[in-house]
Amino acid sequence: MEAIQNFLNDYTLQIVSLGSILLGMISGVLGSFAVLRKQSLLGDAISHAALPGIAAAFIITQTKNTEVLLIGALIAGLLATGLIIVIDKYSRIKFDSALGLVLSVFFGIGLVMLTYIQKIPNANQAGLDKFIFGQASTLLMRDIQLMIGIGTVLLILVVVFWKEFKIISFDPDFAQSLGFSVRKITFILSGMIVAAIIIGLQTVGVILMSAMLVAPGVAARQWTDKLGKMVVIAAFIGALSGVSGTLISSSIEKMPTGPSIVIVVSLFVLFSLAFAPNRGLVWKMIRDRKNRMELNEDKILMNLYSLAMNHDDRTHGHHITMIKPTKNRRGQATEQLKTAMRHLEAKGWARSDYFETWAITDEGIQYVESHPMKGGL
Amino acid sequence: MKKLLSILLTVLMVSSLLAGCAPQAETTDSGKYKVVATTTMLADLTRVIGGEYVDATGLMGPGIDPHLYKASAGDVTLMQEADMIVFNGLHLEGKMGEIFENLTDGGKLIVEIAKGIDDSKILPTADDPNVDDPHIWFNVLLWKDAARVVTDGLVELDASHKAEFEANYEAYAKELDDLHAYVLERVNELPEESRVLITAHDAFEYFGNAYGFEVKGLQGISTASEAGTGDVRDLAQYIVEHQIKAVFVESSVPRKNIEALQEAVKAKGFDVEIGGELYSDSLGNPGSEEATYLGTVKSNVDTIVDALK
Amino acid sequence: MTHDSKYVVEVEDMTVAYQVKPVLWDIDLKVPKGVLMAIVGPNGAGKSTLIKAMLDLLKPISGNVLFNGAPYNTQRKYIGYVPQRGSVDWDFPTSVQDVVLMGRYGHLGWIKRPGKEDKAHALDALTKVGMEDFAQRQISQLSGGQQQRVFLARALVQDADIYFMDEPFQGVDAKTERAIIDLLKELRERGKTVIVVHHDLQTVPEYFDWVTLLNTQIIASGPVEDVFTEDNLKKAYRSTGQVLKG
Repeated sequence: MEAIQNFLNDYTLQIVSLGSILLGMISGVLGSFAVLRKQSLLGDAISHAALPGIAAAFIITQTKNTEVLLIGALIAGLLATGLIIVIDKYSRIKFDSALGLVLSVFFGIGLVMLTYIQKIPNANQAGLDKFIFGQASTLLMRDIQLMIGIGTVLLILVVVFWKEFKIISFDPDFAQSLGFSVRKITFILSGMIVAAIIIGLQTVGVILMSAMLVAPGVAARQWTDKLGKMVVIAAFIGALSGVSGTLISSSIEKMPTGPSIVIVVSLFVLFSLAFAPNRGLVWKMIRDRKNRMELNEDKILMNLYSLAMNHDDRTHGHHITMIKPTKNRRGQATEQLKTAMRHLEAKGWARSDYFETWAITDEGIQYVESHPMKGGL
Repeated sequence: MKKLLSILLTVLMVSSLLAGCAPQAETTDSGKYKVVATTTMLADLTRVIGGEYVDATGLMGPGIDPHLYKASAGDVTLMQEADMIVFNGLHLEGKMGEIFENLTDGGKLIVEIAKGIDDSKILPTADDPNVDDPHIWFNVLLWKDAARVVTDGLVELDASHKAEFEANYEAYAKELDDLHAYVLERVNELPEESRVLITAHDAFEYFGNAYGFEVKGLQGISTASEAGTGDVRDLAQYIVEHQIKAVFVESSVPRKNIEALQEAVKAKGFDVEIGGELYSDSLGNPGSEEATYLGTVKSNVDTIVDALK
Repeated sequence: MTHDSKYVVEVEDMTVAYQVKPVLWDIDLKVPKGVLMAIVGPNGAGKSTLIKAMLDLLKPISGNVLFNGAPYNTQRKYIGYVPQRGSVDWDFPTSVQDVVLMGRYGHLGWIKRPGKEDKAHALDALTKVGMEDFAQRQISQLSGGQQQRVFLARALVQDADIYFMDEPFQGVDAKTERAIIDLLKELRERGKTVIVVHHDLQTVPEYFDWVTLLNTQIIASGPVEDVFTEDNLKKAYRSTGQVLKG
């Protein structure tokens, strides 16, 4: 509760939280498409590529005005996107390699430019390298307004072009054959991703931005099979990570904001990968075990049935060691076999006479005769 | 299309390589000793004491943050070719420590200012008493000691001009004394409770200690750390409680940090001004009044006092 | 290029190459209206490439294609395309109905969303392929045959006159294969033209009435009883040494 009190009293915390929520939402939505198109690293390349744009903007205009620097980042980001697409299309270099190439070359140029800037006699240059890791605590109301403005436009575009984005993500060839210009739509989508990256740069920086783009989408995919729901869940996860990361970093000393947000969203991903129903690894393991057990029980029931049919007295019980000879180790039935028998008993298909002697019941016989066994009769 | 692409990429990569390796402007071989100093303050000091016998080059330009400065390959070459190197020490040049070590091992004449100053005069940082505060130059009297260290170093370099160096030192020491008196005079124009200096990072401890100011910075002793939202909130609270009239931006730290602080204060219903720009980790632009240490200190004091009056 | 109205598809002089290696060389092909045609040939013969080049999904080095005597751009709405099943990631979060609805996007154009009428169309097509119970099913839960049928339904809602299908029988069970070929024959009955890249020589005479033998070049093209001969097959499959069965 003290945390909530703190929050209500703390203007800076509110601003930074708002900024991170916006960041999380927008990058979550747009990143979902990048993830589905198997272009997750595109975000990484573009954010790294923004650095020389920022440096160049400073060198040309000699100001550190945020809007100016972000325009520089935007131009560099678009340039990098175009370059990647061109390299992929017109050369033998694969998409992955083109990404890596553009990422490192642009980022390297950016670092070189920053080093160069260190030398020029302008006493006004401090803080350009803050864009590398972000400095969330210095977000101003002006920045928030920019984020809201651009963010709203981006979200509206997503709604408007929903079916176009959907079809080019799923089946671009088919889309092309219908007459949709896949190239134009891809460019619009990429441009929107660039814009999302640009507005997030100040909060988490160039290096971590790709995490914000990819993680919410990956986590959201685990929870739903509908595209619409996935995008909404991604926005939610992104926003929640943003505000949690901010609150965590504000309450722990010397804990930077950007990385905190990324840690939170990564935890979301890990949790989703493990525990999401249907797709989660833990669920899969549980389901697999359950399936195996059922199959095993069917086999045992079959054995009981055969024993009963081969015996004059169908109700005659058989010692457990007779039922599934292969499960015997040194004449003792294993725990698994005993458990299986108990399950069958619970279902009413087997009956225990006395200590570890079992017989099939009438219901059990009925079940076997009316159901084609999974293992085949 | 493909050919154009490969040419473009080659050009990009080669130019990056070249830009990184290009050595700095060559100092002319005119019989003068080549001295390389890290900060603009030290470059200025070296020039004053060394006079016409020394060619002093500063690695960092004005507005550069020495805590974050990364030496380029060209810088290292410069230092290797220099006759003497002057640096501040106490981790001011945070990212260059290893380079100095390597150069010392190589037998180069290196002057570390902090070494030559009496331990008792070194202040601990506000956050961590185990860490020393490197911003020694804002105590003018302490800077006189620094001048002494530089003089001794130069004498070791070139004993033949000892007399000239000593003369330069004496003259400068007098100017520093005058400057010190000027600062005291101006500071006294402010009533005691107004003597609070709030800046972007903890660079002004020595100033506060020498001239009776309460000093607070948004970031810690080094700008490498990120200011947390808690830091902004606490400082904003302090400003409101003490009704501080003005806060100050620093030339080598992004202005945005102070703007964020200002907004936080405004949200609490108090209006704090940005009193002006102070030169904290470097001197002013070359060609201006503030290009020298004397000019910078004077400008700082004037800015501070005028804004807080 | 002159147009003979007997033919719905006319390809002239088409050549497609990757670097220096030709994939399609000097292709001249005419497909008459209302046939159910198979394109067969050894692996790497350029069959998929031919379709993609015709549908403007690839840029040929040279060549002209006319559909109903007009260029592809103007005839898009009369042409339906069923790509290879493997060309798509079936783990995409969408339902069977949604995929089929995508076939209506061409009619909708930019920005407009599918409406009730489109949904009815989609359900109709799903019924035709026997998948109406699967409408809300997530596509990753489908078997190979079911996936193929969904693709087919998607093409059906396009209401096209000319259908191109790329290996629709690939990896599909016998029952589904039967269902699909029945559907294709029904399309032919209704006057549509269906062109299928096919991999199984055995079934050509039974399923199709027209066949094109392709191995980088057109070996032969025409009615099955005339063209699907031992000689032609030998020519088409010669360099790959594939075993032929009657």
